[in-house]
Amino acid sequence: MIQKTGVIYQGYPSEQELSKSPGVPSDERIKRGPVAFIECVQEIPCNPCEEACPYGAIAVGQPITNLPRLDEKKCVGCGACIAKCPGLAIFVLDGSEQKAKISFPHEYYPLPQKGDVVDCVDREGKAIVKGIVLKVVKSPKYDATAVVTVEVPMEYIKIIRSIKRPGRS
Amino acid sequence: MKEEYICRCEEITREEIERAIAEGATTISGIKKRTRAGMGLCQGRTCRRLITQMLSKVKDPAEITPPTSRPPVRAIKIGEIVEGEED
Amino acid sequence: MKTTEMAIIGAGPAGLSCAVEAARAGAKVTVLDENLKPGGQLFKQIHKFFGSREHRAGTRGFRIGQQLLDETEKLGVEVLLNSTVYGLYEDRLIAYIKDGRDHTLKAEKIVIATGASENALAFPGCTLPGVMGAGAAQTMINVNRVLPGEKVVMVGSGNVGLIVSYQLMQAGADVVALIEAAPKIGGYGVHAAKIRRAGVPIFASTTIKEVLGEERVEGVITVELDEKWKQVNGTERQFEADTVCLAVGLSPLTELAWMAGCEFAFIPALGGHVPIHDRNMETTLPGIYVAGDVTGVEEASSAMEEGRLAGVAAAESLGYIDAQKAEELKKEIWGRLDALRTGPFGEGRRAAKFKQLSSRRLMA
Repeated sequence: MIQKTGVIYQGYPSEQELSKSPGVPSDERIKRGPVAFIECVQEIPCNPCEEACPYGAIAVGQPITNLPRLDEKKCVGCGACIAKCPGLAIFVLDGSEQKAKISFPHEYYPLPQKGDVVDCVDREGKAIVKGIVLKVVKSPKYDATAVVTVEVPMEYIKIIRSIKRPGRS
Repeated sequence: MKEEYICRCEEITREEIERAIAEGATTISGIKKRTRAGMGLCQGRTCRRLITQMLSKVKDPAEITPPTSRPPVRAIKIGEIVEGEED
Repeated sequence: MKTTEMAIIGAGPAGLSCAVEAARAGAKVTVLDENLKPGGQLFKQIHKFFGSREHRAGTRGFRIGQQLLDETEKLGVEVLLNSTVYGLYEDRLIAYIKDGRDHTLKAEKIVIATGASENALAFPGCTLPGVMGAGAAQTMINVNRVLPGEKVVMVGSGNVGLIVSYQLMQAGADVVALIEAAPKIGGYGVHAAKIRRAGVPIFASTTIKEVLGEERVEGVITVELDEKWKQVNGTERQFEADTVCLAVGLSPLTELAWMAGCEFAFIPALGGHVPIHDRNMETTLPGIYVAGDVTGVEEASSAMEEGRLAGVAAAESLGYIDAQKAEELKKEIWGRLDALRTGPFGEGRRAAKFKQLSSRRLMA
């Protein structure tokens, strides 16, 4: 059986779709320090990410169905966009140190705690590797979406996108 | 295998609707009169669409118009109307 | 008999938005709703909405609902709850039951904003307890805080199926599978991605063959479909589950418009037979307007915009807004509506709405 790839078949963007997306930064940029990684590959009418960025690094423009375009020079990886994306499709990757840091939106209670060792999962929810929770940011501005940062070995920086739901192993 | 109910209020199965169509029913009202499908408590809100889908095999769906809509269009107690208007 | 200038049937996103616009202009507005609380389906939308700033994008649906309620209250809109409209007669006379008594209301303008109801799906075992609409499950978890089950099979990959799957997991259930009869996922990829990374498998070209169980749902057998939508023997899968949620589309609740005698058009992309309306949301019957899902199934953001349009147009024809001001307001609203109806997901609806708007001319 031929497995069709792509967001409309698998439910998450393929590597090919991501590589063509204007919201995805270059590998070199990821190595230099934290940067937004926008996994938004369909032209849907939505633009809160544009307004969320205090540095003007994300542009949607008109029509609002344009894909978000990331200016990787302007982006400082602050993560202000992560909780603002209604599609929970923005991550921040940091490949500047020995281990990779991945920040993602998280809306399941109970929230993980800083220092927890957790099962880190890929885009299919498969537990790939254990990681350490570095940070859990809650803010009234985020309106109940927490932003979690985990640390995993560098080889998983493009793979890990979340953690196992609480109580599931 | 279990029975496949199309109209759960009146317990009308897929087989009974298919039979009504085979016997010549071409409208939702026609099926309703033959089988009682759509005459129950929910007044066809669950089955109307399913019956439309079944009818569309023998008829252009554009021609399958909604059945006559009479008051009450929502499930209410008849006693509430009999009670009359409060002034 | 009670009288009012403008009666709005349905206190959901469309009805409340309509009430706010009309009342702001100065009209005397009465909203009727059969539920005990206003808001329609808005209060169970706990996710952040899409769109732009004008559409309140990034804000959770229930907060938008609360704000609409605050505005209606501030503007002195009369909201009759527990009021079931069961008939719409000539000369814009509404019959309704409130608190167990029969009432009538006569209005100069009527806006039908009754929304839509969930479609059913028939399969062996579809009447077993545990089989329910996805919207019903969403009401249980987000409004009543009751978990319908522990292990859910979701049917349908439109945005409702994807979003409710996510919310069921947030509420503590497991979604063991999401199945879709079409060969591809129907809803937004970002919604699909959220549930995929939570471990939910999505099976396209798959339907329910049978739901197992004697007294309630105990399991689900699925089967794959070929290009002609025929079940392929030997492709069955079995899932242990206690709940089956159906997210297979919505149908506009058009009975009142049909009873009143509005002309309809058949537009499958909008959910079937829908009332024809003009750019003011007025139907073919003068003084009777429609707004929201009753005009064709879309989503809450466009329902609110259609409600505003109807509110402005009705207030204009009651003489509360002058033609020039009304034109400006309507132009703004249409701009926002058009923005929501662009892109690969919106274009089909935009074309369908255009067909609906031009149906009158085609008929004449």
